[in-house]
Amino acid sequence: MAKFEILARCSTTRARVSRLTLAHGATMLPTFMPVATQGAIKGLTSQQVESLGITLILNNTYHLNLRPGTAVLVEAGGAHKFQGFRKRALSFESPFTGEPTMLTPEESISIQHAIGADIIMQLDDVVPSLTPDRARVEEAMERSVRWLDRCIAHHNQSGKQDTQNLFAIVQGGLDLELRDRCVTQMIERKDQVAGFAVGGLSGGEEKDVFWRVIDRCTQKLPEDRPRYSMGIGFAEDLLVCVALGIDMADCVFPTRTARFGIALTHHGPLNLRLAKYAKDFGPIDPKCPCPTCTEGTSRAMLNHIITKETTAAQAVTIHNITFQAQLMGGARDAIMNGTFPSYLRSFFANYFGDVGYPEWCINALRSVGIDLLEGSDIKVVPGSGAKWE
Amino acid sequence: MSLSFSTASSARFGPRTGTAKMLRAGTSICINTPGLMVGTSRGVIQHLGRDQHARAPLRWITVPFESFLENSPPTPTLQLGFNPLHTFLGFNPNQHLLALTLRDPSDANETPSNGNDYISASTSRGIKKITPTQWRIYVHASAPDVVVSLPDIPWTPPPFSQKRITKSIERTATWLANLLAPAPQPLNILVHMAGGISDPARRAFTDSLTETLHGREAEAVHPHKCIDDGVTGYVFDMVPLRMAMDASPDEARDDQEETVTLVKASLMSAQPTKLRVVNSAASPHEILCLIRDVGIDMFDAKWAQDAAQFGVALDFVFPVPNAVTKGKQRDLGHNLYRTQYAHDFSPFSDSVPNCPCGACAPVAPQTVISHSAVDAHAPPAAIAPPCTRAYLHHLLQTHEMSAHSMLVMHNLAVVDAFFASVRGVLERGEDFSAHVNRFAAEYDETLAVMDEGRIMWKEVDIARGKGRLARERAAAEVED
Repeated sequence: MAKFEILARCSTTRARVSRLTLAHGATMLPTFMPVATQGAIKGLTSQQVESLGITLILNNTYHLNLRPGTAVLVEAGGAHKFQGFRKRALSFESPFTGEPTMLTPEESISIQHAIGADIIMQLDDVVPSLTPDRARVEEAMERSVRWLDRCIAHHNQSGKQDTQNLFAIVQGGLDLELRDRCVTQMIERKDQVAGFAVGGLSGGEEKDVFWRVIDRCTQKLPEDRPRYSMGIGFAEDLLVCVALGIDMADCVFPTRTARFGIALTHHGPLNLRLAKYAKDFGPIDPKCPCPTCTEGTSRAMLNHIITKETTAAQAVTIHNITFQAQLMGGARDAIMNGTFPSYLRSFFANYFGDVGYPEWCINALRSVGIDLLEGSDIKVVPGSGAKWE
Repeated sequence: MSLSFSTASSARFGPRTGTAKMLRAGTSICINTPGLMVGTSRGVIQHLGRDQHARAPLRWITVPFESFLENSPPTPTLQLGFNPLHTFLGFNPNQHLLALTLRDPSDANETPSNGNDYISASTSRGIKKITPTQWRIYVHASAPDVVVSLPDIPWTPPPFSQKRITKSIERTATWLANLLAPAPQPLNILVHMAGGISDPARRAFTDSLTETLHGREAEAVHPHKCIDDGVTGYVFDMVPLRMAMDASPDEARDDQEETVTLVKASLMSAQPTKLRVVNSAASPHEILCLIRDVGIDMFDAKWAQDAAQFGVALDFVFPVPNAVTKGKQRDLGHNLYRTQYAHDFSPFSDSVPNCPCGACAPVAPQTVISHSAVDAHAPPAAIAPPCTRAYLHHLLQTHEMSAHSMLVMHNLAVVDAFFASVRGVLERGEDFSAHVNRFAAEYDETLAVMDEGRIMWKEVDIARGKGRLARERAAAEVED
């Protein structure tokens, strides 16, 4: 099983820095994992991804099983070799809620063995987070626990436990009591799993509900296992989750939004399609270390090619993945140096100073001892407060 | 800033090697000929990111300007600093020669007529008219290394009347003279050889370039005695020639021979040692023919870039090795959309050993961005395995853009190696013509593999490309 060491803890929040050592090397947490649905980060080659300092990517079991299929992956010697990716990879299950995946827990584990990912995910029963039927949510939660047992049994028979690490996925919708029961049952299986994911969120639920579910799970999950919140990608969501004790997150957001011309910055997203950027000869962010910015690709040039040439998607994807990695790298440094609270304050002031702090972020961070409003005259906005241009 | 061309050959026609040399403030770029030019779309090499430029054989890059007319003034003309066009587009002034044309020479779409003092250009915001005076301003503001003067090529449906062809050669010469007018910064100018598919018109055009000017006409191009003196080289666009020939079918005519005849007609009275450039040759077969029979120096690789777009990994060499395969002609490449490649873990090319491209010889990044002080240092760079046909097949089938990045790097490398071999054969004094004939016998010139790739690309694009959901909705509504 993967080695998991905690290197530092924030003395105010529940944030921590840790090292997760997998078969293909070590990854420092907290981290954000870009998504390579089909075995490639959209638009980028594996060499490009590697040069960005990305050490963990996420492949999709469901998609790789459809194409190229496990036979090809086994012949190739696993997804790492197939993609030419030399870092760590994680595979996860179908996000297609409501659609029959026709997979058994055993099949799902077998496919993930063929993919050869360093981290594999249990098959879980996902219901949309806004499902009003509590009985259905409860049934899905209980089924996910039973499927975890079958995944553990199948994984342990395979002899792959040394190279591949199984993560459990906590379900239970938005109901804190169901989440509690799920966490409790899954912790009983702790010795058989390498980490815990919080699933079933990011389905359009209220942000003020979302963080409370994360908060409840991270409070109960064991200290000595990595915690992964699935489908989280906005900068403010990531930092709030880190403060609540999350170590890993993934989302298609930074890569998908790049293809539509949205570049992420510390002052909020830029919509490069807007006419105001057509004569802006500066880079997306002059301080950004990504190749797109250091080579001086201007906002004006990106405005000229975005959504028309694939190289624009490439350039903005490179930038956005780097932005996410910098954001999380900055969090690691701050936690190590004991300055995470001020890191959070300065991120939020830069990012939301002009439009106001989302109320849910204020609430979430207050729960772990940080008051963003202290000594600040920035206003507070209700709702998700997500920034958009 | 000056571009010079030298060739050892003094013959007017026949295969030749040479060197195009660009001198610009402290740097010189040498391009051996026959050699490769790479085309751009909206100012970028399609599918090739700036960080991948180093992994492709880029020296001469052709930049059609028309897309920039969408903004007024065109954005590159507002870029500050030295080498504004290089800066704006992200090319390296020490390595890349940028040649500016108004229009994309491979674009065969119908465009409204040109006028006596404007040319119609195509942009994503419709047709824009541009005058020779504007062109001159834009060229001086963006400072390319080389500029192609405005040609009056009719883009209305052929055939064309004699009157239209006469207008075409007159305007092309006048617009060239306009660009030659004295300026603080002299330009390196190439001229499109006008005259369409009329042999006499082509000769007449060249004569108009080389006739000695007098009076006000001479003053306008001072210090040149004739407008040809101000020209560094000649450009031949194949697309309008092919279209005009297709519009006047002639059973007795061999289009390939006719093309050679037409190009030679333009060069009959031209200075034989100037650079000769061909755009949009259809195949390596046509390229070899134009090298052998005319002595063309530079070719774009539109066909190879198209092959990358349509999933074809090129796999051919020149000269053909002695052990020639008998029987069926070979394809110039592999259509990696074909399911036969799903389990094929070999590199793209059999014929090209040690292909140096970014897909066949990936290198671990020299530097990796560090995101925090606690990050583990990357292990020492190891040699990454070549990209396989199976992985490329998978990327193509799943509509992943990186498939085309890798194919562009590969195909340009194969074409670059092809030109290097052509130069080698010429320098060693081997029987070039015999090699060309063997090549023609060995490889399929019709590029059937590309037609097949184009169809399969379209199928995947319809199934998974941009706008897929809208198409599916539309299809469902039709069914209802």
